[in-house]
Amino acid sequence: MGKLHVETPAILSPSLTKLCGREVYLKLENLQPSGSFKLRGIGHLCEEARAAGCTEVVSSSGGNAGLAAAYAARSLQMSCTVFTPRSTPAMVVDKLRAEGADVQIVGKNWNEANEVAVERAKRPGCCFVHPYEHPTTWTGHSSLVTELQRQLPERPAAVLLSVGGGGLANGVIEGLHRVGWDDVPVVAAETQGADCFSKALEAGKPVSLPDITSLAKSLGALQVSSRLFESAQTRPVYSVVVSDRQAVEACTRLAEEHRLLVEPACGAALAPLYSSLLPAEVAARPGPLAVVVCGGSGVTPQMLIQWQEMTAA
Amino acid sequence: MVSRVSQAVLIITVQLPAAMGKLHVETPAILSPSLTKLCGREVYLKLENLQPSGSFKLRGIGHLCEEARAAGCTEVVSSSGGNAGLAAAYAARSLQMSCTVFTPRSTPAMVVDKLRAEGADVQIVGKNWNEANEVAVERAKRPGCCFVHPYEHPTTWTGHSTLVTELQRQLPERPAAVLLSVGGGGLANGVIEGLHRVGWDDVPVVAAETQGADCFSKALEAGKPVSLPDITSLAKSLGALQVSSRLFESAQTRPVLSVVVSDRQAVEACTRLAEEHRLLVEPACGAALAPLYYGLLPAGVSARPGPLAVVVCGGSGVTPQMLIQWQQMTAV
Repeated sequence: MGKLHVETPAILSPSLTKLCGREVYLKLENLQPSGSFKLRGIGHLCEEARAAGCTEVVSSSGGNAGLAAAYAARSLQMSCTVFTPRSTPAMVVDKLRAEGADVQIVGKNWNEANEVAVERAKRPGCCFVHPYEHPTTWTGHSSLVTELQRQLPERPAAVLLSVGGGGLANGVIEGLHRVGWDDVPVVAAETQGADCFSKALEAGKPVSLPDITSLAKSLGALQVSSRLFESAQTRPVYSVVVSDRQAVEACTRLAEEHRLLVEPACGAALAPLYSSLLPAEVAARPGPLAVVVCGGSGVTPQMLIQWQEMTAA
Repeated sequence: MVSRVSQAVLIITVQLPAAMGKLHVETPAILSPSLTKLCGREVYLKLENLQPSGSFKLRGIGHLCEEARAAGCTEVVSSSGGNAGLAAAYAARSLQMSCTVFTPRSTPAMVVDKLRAEGADVQIVGKNWNEANEVAVERAKRPGCCFVHPYEHPTTWTGHSTLVTELQRQLPERPAAVLLSVGGGGLANGVIEGLHRVGWDDVPVVAAETQGADCFSKALEAGKPVSLPDITSLAKSLGALQVSSRLFESAQTRPVLSVVVSDRQAVEACTRLAEEHRLLVEPACGAALAPLYYGLLPAGVSARPGPLAVVVCGGSGVTPQMLIQWQQMTAV
């Protein structure tokens, strides 16, 4: 596994440590060159694809997965085609093109764009890069935990992270297993209206949301990865669902306390700490807390202020 | 509270004081894809904004406070209602010393709150920094007290020099230049000391200032350090009226290139950094990036091979709302 991604720092947060009464470490995946943790897993996937003779990476993500695919493809001297629906914001399309991707605007929602992408990827030399549902991608993400084990002073009480489709969680769980930390709980945070994992636990199986109604669009998977649902049956994975307001408030606090700008999808993982929603079983465990600051490129100072206004009481 | 090192191995090259602990953290030097594309060569950002106190100042002021404690000091005294004060408060608390900050009535409430949250006893005195500083200096004469100047102390410069020790290990090769902001010149002095220690005396320092807070540029013009009548830039963290003599002297014997940017350019650099890296920094910090965004790199540097290293010095005095206000204030 090469190094398209970078080793990120795990910084001790003085403000969150004071708030929580125990050490809180922030794993800064927002510092990845593509803007989010996704470069770990998607970079790994693209490396394997290239080794297998692939020359074109195909993505249907007009988001952070697409940016990771574009960055990885360019680094590996492959081309990258992204199919994304008409609803994709111009800023995102611009960023993808700036990263060298050929962006094709097709369809009115992700499903339609994805169909075109899957079809395209059948061509010789093409490789389809799913935003999260691939074991190779999870293995790539697991490198995050390998670093954490070296960086933390001791075994953490828990790892907090955001769940969209569950790719990050799958990778972290794989990494925790590899370093002998199977008993370390994962706190899987979602926002109301993008809470497919929580709904799966309620239903006793993965189920499809009718729609994404949260403003945390980067968490916008209708159905959670089966792998994550299965893992939650055999090792500790706690679901915490926060409101959009709490996720945005966490982004505001992170900006004030650390001067880092993150998407609400990322703020969701911090909200359990800022809004005191840490499960009791985790609160009772000794050790520091580790939060994956997953990052994401879809945020500017103006957008954060708009979200604050949108979610104000 | 102990700060944690994020890298596994620390290699000490030559002669750092043996007693220097680690109140500061080793910061990453990230390759910036956007600036690399813009400049046509690799650009590394040394992220001092990730220091626990919010800026690089913890390196030098932390070192100074450690020495003070070893000498029996129990109270740290500062006259900085800014990043130096925050570093002093953080260092004092980590070393279990008390911290008193004297700051003028003009200090923003947000800053006073941050200092108090860091455990400092904040005393609001006087209408400007000079008056607050006089009270601070007087207080520091008491037994057990130690005055912490925001930048003018050799121990502080030595503490800052650790930044270069890390850079030498982090960069793939000798850089073409190190870009940094100059207020009083403490950071520059520390970086120059570090460059000397690692054998990089020929690596130019690009010393960026903003118009209206450009005491170093004015010193070079005058042929000696001179005092500005006032600070008229919005980059208040660069607000030293007179540059450190040490920096002026260094500029006579090793390459230190002065670049003065406008407030607008400094704020635009902050905007670009927020867009490209989602990091919020003060205009004082943006000033060091402005030469790259505006094609103001001196010819003597452009001609040199190697990557560029920029010290993202950080600073706590910025929020999303403040950045937008500065954008509006400096719009044409």
